[in-house]
Amino acid sequence: MIELKDFSFRYREGSEPVLKDVNLIIPDGSFVGITGAAGSGKSTLTYALNGIIPHCYPGDYYGSVTVNGKDVLETSLIDLSRMVGSVCQDIDSQFVSPAVEDEMLYGLENFGVPREEVEPRIDEALTSMGIADLRDRMIDSLSGGQKQKVAIASILELKPEVLVLDEPTAELDPASSLNVFKLLSRYASEHGTTVVVVEQKIALLAEFASLLVVIDQGKIRYADSPAAVLTHSDELLELGVNCPRSTTLSNRLRRAGLYRGPACRNVAEAADAVMEMLS
Amino acid sequence: MIEFRDVHASYGGGLPVLRGVSFTIEDGEFVAFAGTNGAGKSTTMRLINGLLKPDQGEVLLDGTPTTQLKVSETARRVGFLFQNPDSQICCNTVHDELAFGFKAQGLLDDEAEGRIESIASILKLDLSADPFLLNRGSRQLLALASIAVMETPVLVLDEPTTGLDYHECCAVMDLIGQMHEKGATVVMVCHDMEVVADYAERLIVMNAGQVVDSGPTFTVLRNFSTVETASLVPPQIVGISLACARRDPGLAGTPVASANTLDEMVGALEAAAQEGRRSA
Repeated sequence: MIELKDFSFRYREGSEPVLKDVNLIIPDGSFVGITGAAGSGKSTLTYALNGIIPHCYPGDYYGSVTVNGKDVLETSLIDLSRMVGSVCQDIDSQFVSPAVEDEMLYGLENFGVPREEVEPRIDEALTSMGIADLRDRMIDSLSGGQKQKVAIASILELKPEVLVLDEPTAELDPASSLNVFKLLSRYASEHGTTVVVVEQKIALLAEFASLLVVIDQGKIRYADSPAAVLTHSDELLELGVNCPRSTTLSNRLRRAGLYRGPACRNVAEAADAVMEMLS
Repeated sequence: MIEFRDVHASYGGGLPVLRGVSFTIEDGEFVAFAGTNGAGKSTTMRLINGLLKPDQGEVLLDGTPTTQLKVSETARRVGFLFQNPDSQICCNTVHDELAFGFKAQGLLDDEAEGRIESIASILKLDLSADPFLLNRGSRQLLALASIAVMETPVLVLDEPTTGLDYHECCAVMDLIGQMHEKGATVVMVCHDMEVVADYAERLIVMNAGQVVDSGPTFTVLRNFSTVETASLVPPQIVGISLACARRDPGLAGTPVASANTLDEMVGALEAAAQEGRRSA
């Protein structure tokens, strides 16, 4: 379980706190989507989970963040990195090796993983992201989508209990974005991994997240199931979060008195709702 | 007019990226390009503004092959927005960035200064700010403003909304929409089919270096084989409409089965509900 209690943080060079009085409980095995306007504090929240805050970015730190019972403030970055795996927003800044295989070996070697486990772990991670065939490739010869999957696989093989990803699909086309979320969600449910993902593509979060968190100016405005959060489509628009059109459709139909069900999260649910209305 | 005639292109003679691309874009059109990463969309954009020249075939701007145009001549016709604003921004203040194009062409006069001030005030950009200290969305808006201010007849935009939040996306697309209304030809690569559906009149779909479909936006987005081939995700309302028509073939020809926009779908369902009440 991850717990943020009255957590606030101001970067040393900042004038205002970036996160203010954040309270959030993330149960084990959740798939958490974090969204909000640019500059709302989404990335800062991920730094608070993986320990980049306060260990790399100093500042004023109030309240507490605990990951699986360990206080992030009291736990070294090395110990945290064994629990929390992170995929950076800018994946090119994450790679340390020119070749995929070397990149995959880097984390395992640094964690001192026994030799006989190395091979099966690399295999499993590459296979689970559907990129077993990329093992011998040079990283700079890969497409954006392929790189993204390598970056994720190189963290999955470390078997983190919590996986934190900052906009993992920003550079990807819609089909590749969907594919990354499918692979992630399957891996997480098979391994009981908690996933925390910052994402602008709300349609993906609506579909895959078990908990949807909306941040606005450093405060949590909503933290609930996607269907419950998406009911507030007008308020979300004001916060700079656009709902999937399926949701906007079901909300408008509810206002017109034509629909009484929960907010639709995707095309299939909206099509169900429309068919029911027509029958 | 922009015309591609059987264009083949590659980077430095390496792997072919475009393999026989032909299309025509008339003056004043708003055309979007879609397709997966690596389909050849960005390469096509670079060919339009002459950054890249074809290996084979011809790219014509108003009838003249880009191979015969100087960079300055192309720049007067085509404003180009890079995928990453940081590839574009090169000055120390917002003002200098907006003035860059005028300066390069020796056209920085009082009228140009007027245009710079006016676009900065519309977009709420501080002329004295350092572009590199702006956030991603504002840098994107500045990069777009620096071409919009030149009022070139053609705007070529490579993923203008990627990485932006909803408000930033609206600000960028509003400006592009205004340029188009003033008569600019807009050519835009965009992965977000909701944005494409909202703005583009025509959609050209590319796959593996070739054009696989071209036509009115919604006609293309409703073409199952195009959507499959190019792994497109149609806008959700189109998806809902198609899903309903698949589930009940009896809906063929009804407004629900042809609704493309939110308003059309809500209207169709309200009408159907009234019809239902009347017959009951």
